[in-house]
Amino acid sequence: MDNNNKITTQVIETEVPMGTVHSAALEPYRLRLFVEDEIVRDAELTIGVNHRGIERIMEGLPVEKANSLTEKVCGICSNSHIWNSCLVAEKGLEIDVPPRAEYIRIIMEELERLHSHLLYLAHGSEVLGHETFSMRLFYIRETVMELLRMIGGNRVQYGASIIGGVRPRCELNEMRIQKIKEGMDYIEEKVLEFADRFIRDPMVMSRISGIGAITKADARRLATTGPTLRATGIEVDLRRDMEQYEPFEFDVITQDTGDVKANLLMRVLEIPESIKIIRQAIKDLPEGKITNRSWEMQDTGIIRSYIEVPRGKLYHSYKIEDGRLRNSIIRTPSITNINTMEFACIGTHITDAQLAVVQCDPCFTCTDRAIQIVDHPFRKNRII
Amino acid sequence: MQIVDTDISMILISLAAVIGTLIVAFAVSVWLPGIERKFVQARIQQRVGPPISSPGFMAPIKFFFKQAMTPNSPMPQLYNALPLISLIIVVFILLFLMPQMYFLGALASIIAVVGLLKVEEIMYMFMGSLSKSVLSVNMPFPDLVKGAKHVDATRSFIEEISTLRAFRLIAFGSFPLYIALFVPVAMARSIYLKDIIAFQQLNGPVLFTVAGAIGAIVYFIGFMILMNEYPFAIMKTKADVMEGPYLEYMSKYRAYTYITRGFLIFVLASLFATMFLGIPPNIFNPGILVTIAVAILFPVFMAVMSAFSPIFTFRQFYPVVAATSILGVLAIVAAFL
Repeated sequence: MDNNNKITTQVIETEVPMGTVHSAALEPYRLRLFVEDEIVRDAELTIGVNHRGIERIMEGLPVEKANSLTEKVCGICSNSHIWNSCLVAEKGLEIDVPPRAEYIRIIMEELERLHSHLLYLAHGSEVLGHETFSMRLFYIRETVMELLRMIGGNRVQYGASIIGGVRPRCELNEMRIQKIKEGMDYIEEKVLEFADRFIRDPMVMSRISGIGAITKADARRLATTGPTLRATGIEVDLRRDMEQYEPFEFDVITQDTGDVKANLLMRVLEIPESIKIIRQAIKDLPEGKITNRSWEMQDTGIIRSYIEVPRGKLYHSYKIEDGRLRNSIIRTPSITNINTMEFACIGTHITDAQLAVVQCDPCFTCTDRAIQIVDHPFRKNRII
Repeated sequence: MQIVDTDISMILISLAAVIGTLIVAFAVSVWLPGIERKFVQARIQQRVGPPISSPGFMAPIKFFFKQAMTPNSPMPQLYNALPLISLIIVVFILLFLMPQMYFLGALASIIAVVGLLKVEEIMYMFMGSLSKSVLSVNMPFPDLVKGAKHVDATRSFIEEISTLRAFRLIAFGSFPLYIALFVPVAMARSIYLKDIIAFQQLNGPVLFTVAGAIGAIVYFIGFMILMNEYPFAIMKTKADVMEGPYLEYMSKYRAYTYITRGFLIFVLASLFATMFLGIPPNIFNPGILVTIAVAILFPVFMAVMSAFSPIFTFRQFYPVVAATSILGVLAIVAAFL
């Protein structure tokens, strides 16, 4: 692909297809690598084997029910989806969310960011071939998972956000707050230990330095988003523009090189920032109720909402008709990062190609929600 | 008549020694992968790990009773035969290391051992080129549709990448091991195992000389490369080629691959004990305990190394092999001095 996103007419020697089942991939995707002497000259990443059609299922459901269905879009950023979906309804119905509920939502979101980043680092280490790092990171992540289970009742889908606030079971009492504090201390200590060990490891550094490098210009051209964009040096974080994050002080982390090393370090350095936000939220947690139930359902036009999730910008939009949800659209960050993943592969060794894909933190469970229309009047077995 | 009886009894004793050594080797080798994974890797990774008997002993038994399906291969019978051929080659290496076999002359020399190890390495090339798993080209996925990139490119199975890597490993990857093997040769001024052992019985183990110590380090790195263990597992790395040559093995054929791996660990440890300590594998010699100790220590050290290493691509592989080979050459020079 050239700088104008046009497919070049270069002659390719060999194609090595990988997937949709692959040990380096957590999720199903098809990666075609066009190689010459094990160096990737071009790549094509295709999704579309995950026929869930969640937006289609949501169509016509009561809004509360549809909101809880958005959580099923993804197992890693489930809270982000339900929160954003609730934000759409709250924006459309002009519902005031109690400050305490906002803070609890932020705590849940940042805990989710922690577990997502730790999962990313663990998966990256696994693809790197460093099983020990991977195992130990999963141990650290376990603390976050237990905190999420404590608050939400589940380890993967907590169902914290509802329209107008958070569920009563997600109320933070003194015991829970103390557990979160202890958890944050433990995670911060362990992550910093890991980072120190990680950066000092010459073998790891030789594997990840300069691999899958993306420049600022490439990142802009390819519509890169999230930490992958910030790893190229562009300081863009939607949390800076979200009113929910206004009370909190945190730094937007950036790196310069845009390679695997920068991406891994991005996540490592974002973890303390998330911990910082959680500590502030706990310290300044407002008193009061956590749910505003004094609102009425009404019809709305199409409402849109963007939030910053662990992988970048998440977009939700729908309209409400007779209390039911219509025209739902979900755009996850990974869909915009697919071009970046393809581009990052180019010039790498085949073994590094999966690492270059993983550096963009793909979440195809989020992204791949194709539906298969069987017995279409014009086309059969059409996938959209 | 007396002489004939003596000869027959000698032959029977030798036969018993050979069979006994093979049985001991097999009995020890089935536990080695378990020791590697349970006692070292799992402990380093702070997890329980598999039962010690699982990787090398219980898993092959389990696989023996699994249903065998026809592998996706242009020559499935040949493909399935390769692990057994590989196992036989490894057994032959051990046979030639035994003192009872030194009457075979040139076959009981370092050249024969190196040759057989090379054949064992070549097996991976055959395995890789004969495996056509569903995980790449055969995946029922609409790749070559309108709008797809480079629809005219030659399509390659991921196992073919393994084959190319196996070829590269044959070409340069196993250099350190073979160079290290020639350190005792240089010191004993002979390629015959019996001369190398005799030299060490007179002058002490090669390992306790400067050249021998350097050679032992080089040998160990070569051993890891030959075992395709992290960080040198590029032939079967999870990041791209997955299990590489072994992808299509199932049932008893997979069991053979497991047994071969354990046996190869023991054989290479025996080779080390023979070349660097002057102790050939022999059931009737207490020195067999040293061989067993080496066979246990090698996977332990290997597991420690691999637990703290990422997989090397050729960018890291070439310099490591080059540096190790240079170290081996220095050891040979030191041996001549």
